[in-house]
Amino acid sequence: MRLAMPRPDIVAAVVTRDWEETLRNRLLLATILVPPVVLTIVPLIVGGVTTGLPLPAAVARQAIALRPDWASLSPGELTAALVIQQFLVFFLMMPAYIPLSIASYSIIGEKTSRSLEAVLSTPIRTIELLAGKAISALLPGVAVGWLTYVALIGLTAMLYSPGLVGVVTDDSWLAGVFLLGPAVGLASVVAGVIVSARVSDPRTAQQIGGIIIVPLVGVAVIQASATVLFGGPSYALGALIVLIISLMGLVLGARLFGRETILTRWR
Amino acid sequence: MPVLRMEGLGRKFGATWAVRDLSLDVRAGEVLGLLGPNGAGKTTTVRLLAALIAPTAGHAWVDGIEIREAPDEIRARVGILTETPGLYDKLSAERNLDYFGKLHRLPAAVRAERIERWMVALGMWDRRRDPAGTLSKGTKQKLAIIRALLHEPRVVFLDEPTAALDPEAAYVVREAIAILRAEGRTIVLCTHNLDEAERLCDRIAFLRGSLLRVDSPARLRGELGGGRVTIRLAEPASPALIAAVEALSVVRLVEHESGTLGVRVENEKHDAPIVVRAIVDAGGGVVEVRPEVGTLEQVYFEIMGVRPGAGDPDSAREVA
Repeated sequence: MRLAMPRPDIVAAVVTRDWEETLRNRLLLATILVPPVVLTIVPLIVGGVTTGLPLPAAVARQAIALRPDWASLSPGELTAALVIQQFLVFFLMMPAYIPLSIASYSIIGEKTSRSLEAVLSTPIRTIELLAGKAISALLPGVAVGWLTYVALIGLTAMLYSPGLVGVVTDDSWLAGVFLLGPAVGLASVVAGVIVSARVSDPRTAQQIGGIIIVPLVGVAVIQASATVLFGGPSYALGALIVLIISLMGLVLGARLFGRETILTRWR
Repeated sequence: MPVLRMEGLGRKFGATWAVRDLSLDVRAGEVLGLLGPNGAGKTTTVRLLAALIAPTAGHAWVDGIEIREAPDEIRARVGILTETPGLYDKLSAERNLDYFGKLHRLPAAVRAERIERWMVALGMWDRRRDPAGTLSKGTKQKLAIIRALLHEPRVVFLDEPTAALDPEAAYVVREAIAILRAEGRTIVLCTHNLDEAERLCDRIAFLRGSLLRVDSPARLRGELGGGRVTIRLAEPASPALIAAVEALSVVRLVEHESGTLGVRVENEKHDAPIVVRAIVDAGGGVVEVRPEVGTLEQVYFEIMGVRPGAGDPDSAREVA
């Protein structure tokens, strides 16, 4: 059986419309824009405050054993590096919760306004609708995550030593922000689609879909103890695993997004 | 060749048939009304014909295309006004229409021209920049009608277009439908409003899980609704008098209550004198004779086999 390919103009129309609606939704807009600002400023403030506070010797030794490239940092910079490193997890959460929020509002919004039947009455293919919803949710999350990261690098370079710039541009950050982040974003969109198909309130969808963030919180807890500091290969492997899980979820999501299912079972 | 053709069309949800064995042709330019109680299968029929859901049994053709063979092509040829307008409240009226024009892959210039033409025709041009959420119910419904027409469909399905509208808004929407009718479009109108069906439809199909009857409103009224003659007697009718009236070939039903006879006849004007003569011949005295024209409501109740207030025998059967 030949799969019908999504037509770019139709997908673009869905994406554009979703963004237009997102831009008019102040609550959703705040959800998207406030955390990046916080995530750019807080690591720098916390890093600045802790720069003068050396780590306990045992923790410092453990951190350097896990990340030998940090051996050249001063004791104060080492503290700041360990603290700032914790924020990488939040940069992974951004592409997770932003697409989840957008997808939840977008799909549930269509359900509550009963506009999906009108959309499905056009020659649009369900794969085009799903692709449009996924892209309109995923791109802002990934873009905001990347822009925030670039801002963080710029401000770190302006305010701190080259050693700390090296910390936020090492392979763990690059793999985390550019590989695992988008993969987590995709997983989040898939979760948003699946959960939104079953509930009728965007906040409920976000709460249930928010389970996707739990593994990331686990990573944060493990890293905070400095017993394990994940490097670039770990994040790249994590990205691959998340991508595979997301693609499996996408198959389920595509089924839930079937024309008949939407019309006869979505309430 | 009919624009719509159904042959044994049916759809099952789980173990329940929403609609079955539907065979019907709709001619080009015809306005067909679909009448039936909730759960009769009207919306399912529309969804089947618009290739939104697949049939479980039978076949249907829209403009000569079988609905299972090319559903995308079918959807490009039909326009639907769904039960609820289903608009994007935060987008302007114009942007709502433009989005659906894009989904139909209409070029920008064509979209702009048709949006302006229809908004002007339905008196909405001044409201084009207003968010859809700020429009009245009737105006939203008009906007949804324009949305269904943007791609110049051969067939337009209107699913309960005036349901839940106040009389003024319903009037506005009916005027819009009358414009479509005057344009010679093929329209399938699902409605509970019998007056609306009578005024707008060339033929009416009564549906209750299957097709019960289809004909023009005038013929339906003539054949089924018939007329009624209410006769006030000088004294309560005796059994012999009632039997004499019932024996008349033109009489279908006799109801007697407190000295008043309600007599269902085929033609109230022609048959009233025959009934009066029979009453007088049976020794009765006539005080007043009031002929009443048969209504589509009577036809509806007769075809559906229900009496007002007696409950709906199939009311539990609510599907899709």
